Amino acid sequence: MGNTETTLEIPLEISDVSGQKVFSVANAPAGNTVGELVHEMLGKMNLPRNDASGAPLTYQARLEREGRHLNASERIGDALERGDRLTLQPNIDAGLF
Amino acid sequence: MTLTFPFRFAVVLFGEDGTSLGAVPAKRDWEPAHEWTRFYFQRRGQLGLDSDGSASTVIPLWEHTLGEPYCRGYRIQIAVPGGRPVASDFPTTHFRECAAAVASHLVEQKKLREGEFYSYMLVAHPTSQEAPASGGLTVTNASPGVPASDACLQDFLHRATPSGVIDIDDMPVFVSTQVLEQAAEQTHAEQGTETGGILIGKLWRDRAAGEIFAEITAQIPAEHTSGSNAKLTFTPQTWTAADAALRLRRQSEVFLGYWHSHPVREWCKGKACAPEAQQACHLAKDFFSADDKAVMRAAFPRAYSIAIVANDTAFTSLTFSMFGNREGVTQPRGFYVLEDKTHGA
Repeated sequence: MGNTETTLEIPLEISDVSGQKVFSVANAPAGNTVGELVHEMLGKMNLPRNDASGAPLTYQARLEREGRHLNASERIGDALERGDRLTLQPNIDAGLF
Repeated sequence: MTLTFPFRFAVVLFGEDGTSLGAVPAKRDWEPAHEWTRFYFQRRGQLGLDSDGSASTVIPLWEHTLGEPYCRGYRIQIAVPGGRPVASDFPTTHFRECAAAVASHLVEQKKLREGEFYSYMLVAHPTSQEAPASGGLTVTNASPGVPASDACLQDFLHRATPSGVIDIDDMPVFVSTQVLEQAAEQTHAEQGTETGGILIGKLWRDRAAGEIFAEITAQIPAEHTSGSNAKLTFTPQTWTAADAALRLRRQSEVFLGYWHSHPVREWCKGKACAPEAQQACHLAKDFFSADDKAVMRAAFPRAYSIAIVANDTAFTSLTFSMFGNREGVTQPRGFYVLEDKTHGA
């Protein structure tokens, strides 16, 4: 039987799309979802939650190590490893309005 | 970046007869003004390139005649370790949109008539410093400093042509001719549908001139977007593709902003505007919508970020407008066109 390490909190690095806003998270709870992490980090990073009309913006978290976008429902403890870097990428419109 | 608020700001609305219609907490996105302040003093060499602008405070500027609690504006002050703080002052016009939103609400409540004149004032009251909420994520700002290398501003100016109105408060921006040519080609190829790309390049610092300036070296056509004649949607896949392209180039470039087209001729067709009206239309040039600003805020929040709009009108050949953060507000600005993009620092 192998050793099982239970990690309750995972340190991460989270960036905006420009790579010019980067925050280290010391204690992302392993039991939380990626969606919860993204929601809290938008506030910490002072990234907008809404578009110009006030409608909520959707951000996806991209996991650099695997080169994929994480589902909001994935658990941090299942999807992420210590030191992983995520990029928060918005779905956003430029336009006439 | 941490902003502290020793004062609580509110907007007070007054009706046509000077009657107070009430006060509401002043809602404002303080980050662009904070960014402007930080970068302004980094340009002048009074803040280090790696300064994250922490230990910043927002304080009221009292109105000269009325005094406290009435404000003539606000100040963002950034502490400088071992030195005097640096600060920028901002006007009450930064709260115009907040006041307009309150006025609309008052119209709905029948406390203000549609079209009725109103005025507003900014007030501030001391507030007790609340201890940060315990629990939650523990985060530290690990953002990189301003990625500027040394270069001579005059060398760039000698081989550049100004476009638009150059404001000395703006960071000089040099755009390669190739970038504009590619943007024009892409705009024409899309035939009336909004298109765009990500602007990449380098930041340079001229220590002798006390200035930081930007060189847009290339544009990465935005992939995985969906466009119509009035909208261009950037998706998470767009940012991933742009990041991959940037890394592949291995040119030590950084993201400096984005460009997109405004197919104004299509907008005019849809509204059957007369040729004279098209030429006078505010959408034809130097128009940057609230949506356009929102993209800047979400994706390119630094004060050195810029945006370019390709204005595709029926009455003249394609023109370009540039926008950037000046005094905490996204505004039209001038730029320089570089004949060639190569530079040896």
